[in-house]
Amino acid sequence: MSGRLGRLYRGETTVDFYGRRRLGFLFSGALLLMTLGSVVFQGLNLGIDFKGGVAWEVPVTDTLTLDIAKKVLAQEGVDEKSAKFQLLNSNGDERVRIQAGDLDPSKVSRVKSALAARAKVDAQDVSEASVSSTWGRSITNKAVRALLVFMMFVSFFISWRFEWRMAVSAIVAMVHDVGVSVGVYSVLGLEVTPATVVAFLTILGFSLYDTIVVFDKVHENTSRFSGSRVSYGDIVNVSMNQVLMRSLNTSVAAVLPVVSLLVLGSGVFGAVALQEFAFALIIGLATGAYSSIFIAAPLLGMLKDRDPAYAPQKGHLSLGPEMAHLMATGAPAGRRGAAITRVADLGQEPAAAAVSAEAVLSHPPRPRKKGRR
Amino acid sequence: MTRRLVVTLSLTLVLTAGLFAAGLLAGNTPSLGLDLQGGASVTLTPKGTFDDAAIGVAVDIIRQRVDSIGVSEPEIIRQGSTVVVNLPGVKDQQRALDLVGRTGEVQLRPVIQMGQQTPQDGATSTTVAGATSTSVAGAPGSIEPTDSTLAAPAGGLGSARHPAASTTVPAVTTTVPTGSGLQPGQDVLLAAKGDAVYLVGPVAATGEVFEKQAAAEISNGGWVVTVSLRSGADGEDQWNSLAKTCFEGGATCPTKQVAIVLDSKVISAPVVQTPEFNGNVQISGNFTEAEAGDLAKILQFGAVPVQFDAPTVQTVSATLGKSSLHAAIVSGLIGVALVLMFLVLYYRLIALVVVAGLGVSGMLLWTVISWLSRTNGLALTLSGAAGIIVSIGVTVDSYVVFFEKLKDDLNKGRTLRNSAVRGFESAWRTILAADTVSFLGALVLWWLTVGPVRGFAFFLGLSTLSDLVVSYLFTRPAVLLLARTGLMNRPGVLGVRRQAVTEAQSVTEGTA
Repeated sequence: MSGRLGRLYRGETTVDFYGRRRLGFLFSGALLLMTLGSVVFQGLNLGIDFKGGVAWEVPVTDTLTLDIAKKVLAQEGVDEKSAKFQLLNSNGDERVRIQAGDLDPSKVSRVKSALAARAKVDAQDVSEASVSSTWGRSITNKAVRALLVFMMFVSFFISWRFEWRMAVSAIVAMVHDVGVSVGVYSVLGLEVTPATVVAFLTILGFSLYDTIVVFDKVHENTSRFSGSRVSYGDIVNVSMNQVLMRSLNTSVAAVLPVVSLLVLGSGVFGAVALQEFAFALIIGLATGAYSSIFIAAPLLGMLKDRDPAYAPQKGHLSLGPEMAHLMATGAPAGRRGAAITRVADLGQEPAAAAVSAEAVLSHPPRPRKKGRR
Repeated sequence: MTRRLVVTLSLTLVLTAGLFAAGLLAGNTPSLGLDLQGGASVTLTPKGTFDDAAIGVAVDIIRQRVDSIGVSEPEIIRQGSTVVVNLPGVKDQQRALDLVGRTGEVQLRPVIQMGQQTPQDGATSTTVAGATSTSVAGAPGSIEPTDSTLAAPAGGLGSARHPAASTTVPAVTTTVPTGSGLQPGQDVLLAAKGDAVYLVGPVAATGEVFEKQAAAEISNGGWVVTVSLRSGADGEDQWNSLAKTCFEGGATCPTKQVAIVLDSKVISAPVVQTPEFNGNVQISGNFTEAEAGDLAKILQFGAVPVQFDAPTVQTVSATLGKSSLHAAIVSGLIGVALVLMFLVLYYRLIALVVVAGLGVSGMLLWTVISWLSRTNGLALTLSGAAGIIVSIGVTVDSYVVFFEKLKDDLNKGRTLRNSAVRGFESAWRTILAADTVSFLGALVLWWLTVGPVRGFAFFLGLSTLSDLVVSYLFTRPAVLLLARTGLMNRPGVLGVRRQAVTEAQSVTEGTA
């Protein structure tokens, strides 16, 4: 094992994530714009569990069974996937209940007469009624309220355990994930079912979990580097490279079963219902892993760069071998003060001016006693 | 230290396996949701006039009744003007009717005697003691609800709530006349909670004397329910005549209690503390927030009741069928096998701990899920099953975090034994922080939502907890013990190259 893969395997990569943050922001911005446009102009394709629709009940006869009813509906142009078929039984008296989304009234009566004709019964024996959604408005309202309360609690927890800037970044990343996932569903016109909502919630949890793991590393490195004069961008870069392998491994571990559900479950075994659930999960897992690395961490770096403790070093990034040195030893490479000259070279006067008082010290300051040990 | 680890590890394994075996022996298996197994479908048709909002409350009450902890995922649809309730996994049609078909009128009846149920030779003999855990005060603030006016309950639920109330009424052992001995209009009713029995007089008023705005509030440091009276003869006057009778404690209402009855169950039986109410009624007692909220909801419902005709019940078939579940399980297992293969390739020998750890979590989850299937009607839907498969990803992550930290420490030149201890310490902090957030989310969602979201929150919380338990009680001792055996003390076992270490060490150690 050598070369890039080998370095990745041993956690020795030196990718400049922070320096390229604009790429990620641009990409996500474009995605979110697309989401907004699509949701406004196209909307979401909500399933019957959300919208309600119509239901027919028809007695089971020699000429009409559950499977034949499915065919009748297909002939009338109702998609089998978005309809629900159930067999009702009370004391041997069997009926088929069919639910479908909103259809125009002429179609509803056409289906009704088609069912009656196939079952060879009177049209009166086939009942037809509008049905409400099983997922009532109150469920949605409660879920949204719960999500808001949850975000508040999470912000408090992260602020207390780490710091408020991390809370802001984590919440922004989470909102980003929901936005992108909703966008994909809207753009592709996929049907949203309760399973989709549950899948999105799963993803939200996963994304947040992933972000916390990354931030924990950043937090650990913040105290590790507290004595040396490195920019927060460096800390973010070092942390990202250190957790890169873990992020990749975890994503692989999470995605493999889902891919298996999608490919084997719905493809080979033909369980169509698994398809949409697995699809929602894959989109979510991808955005979740992406947002922790390309949104949450860079955003945190930008917020921290304004912090007086890190502002002087703002803009300086140790790249390549310098970063490797930083990772291995916890101290900036080269002679002391190199960082400052570089800042000056880059022509960022305010930053250089701000450190000048400290730069004249003849020896590095004692490390602050912070953190463990 | 080693001994403690061995004890922890073996206790965890024995306990998990024991619980799992006990569950299997008791015949607990997870029951399946409507989409996979079907169930019973109850159709309710409202009688007479009704308003839309009241049906909403009725649906809420039904949902509360069939889905108390939020895991059974019933499907409640309004089809035309009827309400259809689909209950997963219920084979017994009578049981489905019992669960759903009871929504009726809220009645207010004077309490003649109150007692405790003591089954005796098959016949229900009832011991009467003066007791209640609630009291009624007039307009909020006008009369203080004091515990001293309450008689202490003679045991049962009430005594737990009222440890301070000390004026014990000697238990009068008379047998409440059952059956033939009853005066016309009298009934013997059970309490909705606990084992109290009430002999109540004829219906004096219905819940319609109240306005539909009952609310749970905090007053004098406790939860109370306030509700205002409808003005006029059908509201305030009717209530006040009942209140007056009961306050005076005459023959028709010797206990001074008014029973609030729903579906022939006594929800609450507060003591009336004033003869005259002025537009507002406050019910106080040692309520918890949830109890006060439930009572308020029932009073609201009683204000605009919906009555249903005799419900019809049918069995419904599954919408998806078990073949989908088989597909999910088989493809899920293949997915998990792929994950394990990947981990073994990457982490070599130590990945075997993950295999065993997943086995332990699997047994724990199976035990809890099948136990709840039996006790709380938990029903596993296809998305629930798929969700559990996905949660494996999160579970595996705690191992990945741990092993990566362990490798970090090894790379810095520490011994394996040392690295394992330090690696776990630091990984545990990460896992704890991340799992706390997940658990917080699960808790908030479970607490504030209903329906499928609640079911999701439940499984999220469950898998998060099991992740924490397994990490600390299984993974930690297992890896720490393995690190001591020397079995792993060869480079390559974890995929670490030792020579990389020296280079980093030669430079002065930073500021750590």
